Amino acid sequence: MKRIQSGLSLIIFALTALLGVGAFLYPFWLPAVAQSVSAGGGMAHTADAALILTVIVAICFAVLLVEVQSEAVSAKAIALMGVLVAMNSVLRFAEVAIPMPGGFSPIFPLILLGGYVFGARIGFLLGSLTILASALITGGVGPWMPYQMLTAGWVGMSAVLVRVPLRALRRAGAASAGAEVALLAAFGIFWGFAYGMIMNIWFWPFAMGPSSMYWQPGIGAWETLQRYAVFYAVTSLAWDVVAAVGNALLIVLLGSAVLRILRRFHRRFDFAYIAAPMHEVQPAHSPPAHAPRGQGALAPAPMRSRA
Amino acid sequence: MRNPLHTGAWLIWLVAVGTMLTVTRNPIYIGLVLLWVGIVLSGLGAPEQGVGTPVLSPLRFALVVVPIAALFNALFVHAGETVLLRIPDAMPVVGGPVTLEALAYGALNGLVLTGLFAAFAVFNRVTPVRSLIQLAPRAYYPVAVTVAIAVTFVPVTLRQAVQIREAQAVRGHRLRGLRSWAPIFLPLLSSGMERALQLAEAMVARGFAAGGVQGGRGGLRTQLLLAAGTLLFGGGLVVRLVGKPLAGTALLLAGLAMIVGGIWLAGRAHPHTVYRAAPWRAADWAVAGVAAAGALLFLVAIPGIDRASLAWYPYPAFTAPGFSLMLVAATWGLLGPAIVSLRS
Repeated sequence: MKRIQSGLSLIIFALTALLGVGAFLYPFWLPAVAQSVSAGGGMAHTADAALILTVIVAICFAVLLVEVQSEAVSAKAIALMGVLVAMNSVLRFAEVAIPMPGGFSPIFPLILLGGYVFGARIGFLLGSLTILASALITGGVGPWMPYQMLTAGWVGMSAVLVRVPLRALRRAGAASAGAEVALLAAFGIFWGFAYGMIMNIWFWPFAMGPSSMYWQPGIGAWETLQRYAVFYAVTSLAWDVVAAVGNALLIVLLGSAVLRILRRFHRRFDFAYIAAPMHEVQPAHSPPAHAPRGQGALAPAPMRSRA
Repeated sequence: MRNPLHTGAWLIWLVAVGTMLTVTRNPIYIGLVLLWVGIVLSGLGAPEQGVGTPVLSPLRFALVVVPIAALFNALFVHAGETVLLRIPDAMPVVGGPVTLEALAYGALNGLVLTGLFAAFAVFNRVTPVRSLIQLAPRAYYPVAVTVAIAVTFVPVTLRQAVQIREAQAVRGHRLRGLRSWAPIFLPLLSSGMERALQLAEAMVARGFAAGGVQGGRGGLRTQLLLAAGTLLFGGGLVVRLVGKPLAGTALLLAGLAMIVGGIWLAGRAHPHTVYRAAPWRAADWAVAGVAAAGALLFLVAIPGIDRASLAWYPYPAFTAPGFSLMLVAATWGLLGPAIVSLRS
């Protein structure tokens, strides 16, 4: 039964990822947009496409959220996530209140490190709920939120992938003390650029401008990629360089200390109440005769690492 | 202003504003929607200061975004007949004529963004975070509790950060560069995790999830419904794209129904009670109904309504935007909250 559920979980992850990526790329193959834009009028169709895109992303996010929150059913997981999200929201609050250079955002290192230590599900929730909670406290709820929540969720969810090269390095005996932090910093650099690229794509096909950097119906995939590269280089690259360098710097400077704290609490959080018969938990003193039945014993749960 | 409306009614009003602004570029409709949203916003009075206060007012947002959008469009879009100035063609990307039409269209896009921002500013002002969290479907109960904890802990965390900074300052610590944040952030993280542990123990002691919460996904049937629904929904999109709209729509709807069913089934795992339920009154029906009907008129093709007027384009030369009286009347529905607040 558990195997079937795990298999279904993987299928849902894969399908929503596919649908999410498809949603971001949907305008590229939407014939209605192609017709309306090539006709030089009919912006209403373009706007419809933006609305369709938002609906698809929202559905994708709703399904994924039901699936990933199955991890967050215990008081421990909920309290842990609530506090981590609060801390990250405070960082976002600081980011909004004190303008920082370019796309620098202090929230992503904690999302990456949290996802890396606690697993993909908690990572996804940490990413998406940080965006939601911080939007609530800064009064920043807006139409961009489904996109931001889904993408920030992907950031946290994908952090477990860092374990793969690290495991390979360790197996080969080539993992130095700083390899883990270095790999996480490299992943931070990757997401510094990837987050910006993904967040651009949802509006880029609908934006109008010179043909060298904007999408037009009927152009091939290679041409589309070239134009997007020009658009990205002109409008976003400098911004995202700051974001990527900021992520890497924060992870290099604080990463190992934060990882130590998160791991320490991961172990402390990993306990379970196991119901045991009374006679098994009263070796030292005899219980009173009226002791309630079914008292549980506190036992460490086996360490697990969920991906 | 006392907020006399249910959060759900505000949510529907917000969606209606978003829908109207998203599907049109006609300056008449956009102007009307902005006017009605402005009236509703001004009826709310000055915002209270504190956590949850928007960092930027809609007016300031407009002062920044509208000129930037106009300038950006004028620099990058070289269409239009009324040439204001000409940038040498040797300059890559921006080289070419700067036209009044492109400037105006950019400003119009900036106004649409301002309208959306103002509508969300209204929503942020009138909706307490707790009401918003209560609106979450039962299936998202763990997520709603997590967000509630996070929002509750933010002021505590801010206070803790200030205390740690002051304690470090007494020891001679000064904030210089990223590395100097470590003595503040690390104790903050550590104490926050300690609080989480205490909170978890307190929640367990009070019987949270004592009955063995079955999990948000609510079991195998929910997972099956969600997986099959997502597959059908995605398949429907693909089938529509390859030119079979009817079959595609059928698949889309079937997938959507399965997803909704899965979420409903997941919600059954979490019986939901509220200490003080917010009533849904006649005024809520009126505001939500009129706003939703207005948005539908903007979205759905109905005989007798000139939907072509939704689209307006200033290129190559300005033309007077047309309008439909029905669509103009549809925007009036957004005034509902202001009228209700006058009556209450």
